[in-house]
Amino acid sequence: MIQLTEQIIVNGILSGLVFVLMALGFTMIFGIMRVVNFAHGELYMMGAAGVLVLYSQWGIDYSLSVILAALFTGVVGVAIERSLFRPFVRSELNGMIMSLGVSICLQAIALIVLGPAQQAMARPISGVIRLGGAVVPLDRLAVGGIALGVIVLFQVFLKYTRTGLSMRAVAQDREVAALMGARVQSMAALAFGIAAGLAALAGGLMAPIYSVAPYMGELPMLKAFVVVVLGGLGSIPGAVVGGLIIGLVESVFATFFDSTLALIASFVIVLAIVLVRPRGLFGKLQA
Amino acid sequence: MSKPLVIAGALAALVCVIPYLVADRYVFHVAIMGCVTLILASSMNLMLRVGQLSLAQVAFMGIGAYASALFSMRLGWPTGLSLVAGGGVAMVFAAVLGPAFLKIRGVYFVLLTFAFAQAVNLIFQDWTSLLGGNNGLYGIPKLELFGIRLGKPGAFYGLALAVALGWLALMGALHRSRVGAVLSSIEENEDLTRSLGVNVLAWRIGCFALSGLMAGIAGGLYAYYIGFLSPQAFTFHTSVNVLVINVIGGVASPLGPLIGSILIVPLPELLRDVEEYQLLAYGGILILFLAFFPRGLIGFLAEARQDAAGRRLGRPIWRHSTKRTK
Repeated sequence: MIQLTEQIIVNGILSGLVFVLMALGFTMIFGIMRVVNFAHGELYMMGAAGVLVLYSQWGIDYSLSVILAALFTGVVGVAIERSLFRPFVRSELNGMIMSLGVSICLQAIALIVLGPAQQAMARPISGVIRLGGAVVPLDRLAVGGIALGVIVLFQVFLKYTRTGLSMRAVAQDREVAALMGARVQSMAALAFGIAAGLAALAGGLMAPIYSVAPYMGELPMLKAFVVVVLGGLGSIPGAVVGGLIIGLVESVFATFFDSTLALIASFVIVLAIVLVRPRGLFGKLQA
Repeated sequence: MSKPLVIAGALAALVCVIPYLVADRYVFHVAIMGCVTLILASSMNLMLRVGQLSLAQVAFMGIGAYASALFSMRLGWPTGLSLVAGGGVAMVFAAVLGPAFLKIRGVYFVLLTFAFAQAVNLIFQDWTSLLGGNNGLYGIPKLELFGIRLGKPGAFYGLALAVALGWLALMGALHRSRVGAVLSSIEENEDLTRSLGVNVLAWRIGCFALSGLMAGIAGGLYAYYIGFLSPQAFTFHTSVNVLVINVIGGVASPLGPLIGSILIVPLPELLRDVEEYQLLAYGGILILFLAFFPRGLIGFLAEARQDAAGRRLGRPIWRHSTKRTK
């Protein structure tokens, strides 16, 4: 029983860390641009597809492939923000519909380039390790460790750099931040780029564990959505805590019931949160 | 009516009779699905008229579809009665959820209805004993109205078209009546409307219930036409499809969804030879309209024309920026 508990907790935390990686960007885009980014799953897919091309097809080193794919997606993210989202910043509904359009187009491009089939790739890391009573595949552990490192780095960036400060200021109050000299539009582009890079990093890390397909981003997007609503739209600490909570809840449900029931449970949580406390666990009231 | 609108109406009328002129089974199929989609899009349009984007319509459609199929299969009710009763069940769902849901405004309402639709779809997948789950629900009987069996696609198209146009006529009448004025006023300035003694929440709930009924009947028509139900028909993709129809047609008039449906529903058929570019065209059209014609085609046609009060007709799908929630 103790072994099972340990296994559930380890599984929950490892998948929770990947949810956090997705949710951080999702919540930051909402905090700064007021756009609910339905294309977030497609940015995850871009990361995975990039790794598929670079590592599997061109034979570039795996870790280098992940970094390149994340950087590439980040640049694409900046371009998308500049060209498509900028007219709709703070116009929540139009921005959200625009993100649907972007999501459809990115899926379409992946469909044309990759084809509809699921494509597996060789696992760069294999084997398992015992952590206390839990048996953990090494690649999952590596993904969790890298995710944790990136999450810590990202927090340091937000807390201790001028750019990070200015980003938090824009999220808090756009007008006042602009008056204090924060470059509001550059911050939005940078935030979208970083968010895209984080999502692509998650996709690139998970690509060898699952397979790559044009529609693979839909489920991670739903998870990020649930996490962010739970933690509070626009709240960074909310995304971290929410991600870990959803990871653990899902691990419990998936062990004792089935994964569809786990998803139903998470959407019922979302319904309850929006109805009772729309700002989530950590969100602030928005003017 | 302005000239462009008359021309648009005449073209729409022509499109509606094309299936009878061609009399091809496949054209009938596309046309029937077009009618179902149009009713669903029109139900979303009704909620947009009071300024709320509901992604729950597809869930009401699914509830109506499964309910009417089960009424006739399990309880042996006549199919015509089951069709209406299925719509009624969807309406009851909307009316019961309405008071809680409609207090939420803006982007949170969209997220709420999105989560609701996801949960309902997952329940369709998981409740295998009653609904058949992902294997589907088989053996739905053919629709019979007043002793006439609507087995032939031509006959079924006649019914679907009559229901769709009937709804549109009702929506048009509503649009021009005092009720329509109240709804527009709620959308334009809710606080002011409330100050005039209008019970805004009650009006919203009324619209939600009516839109639920509409979506439920669309679902019932779908169930009896296809004869088989699977959760795949009621996913987020269907929601996105009717949203695109509203964006392209325009939300300011009940004719918007009609024009949007006529343009969007046949699109996959026209792009059959270049199948992999279907999705790209679809997303590209959505982005182009948002960027350049945010008022949709109806708004574009009416752009030059102004009404007696000098107001521009047609409005973007979303006028307001962030609203305070709670």
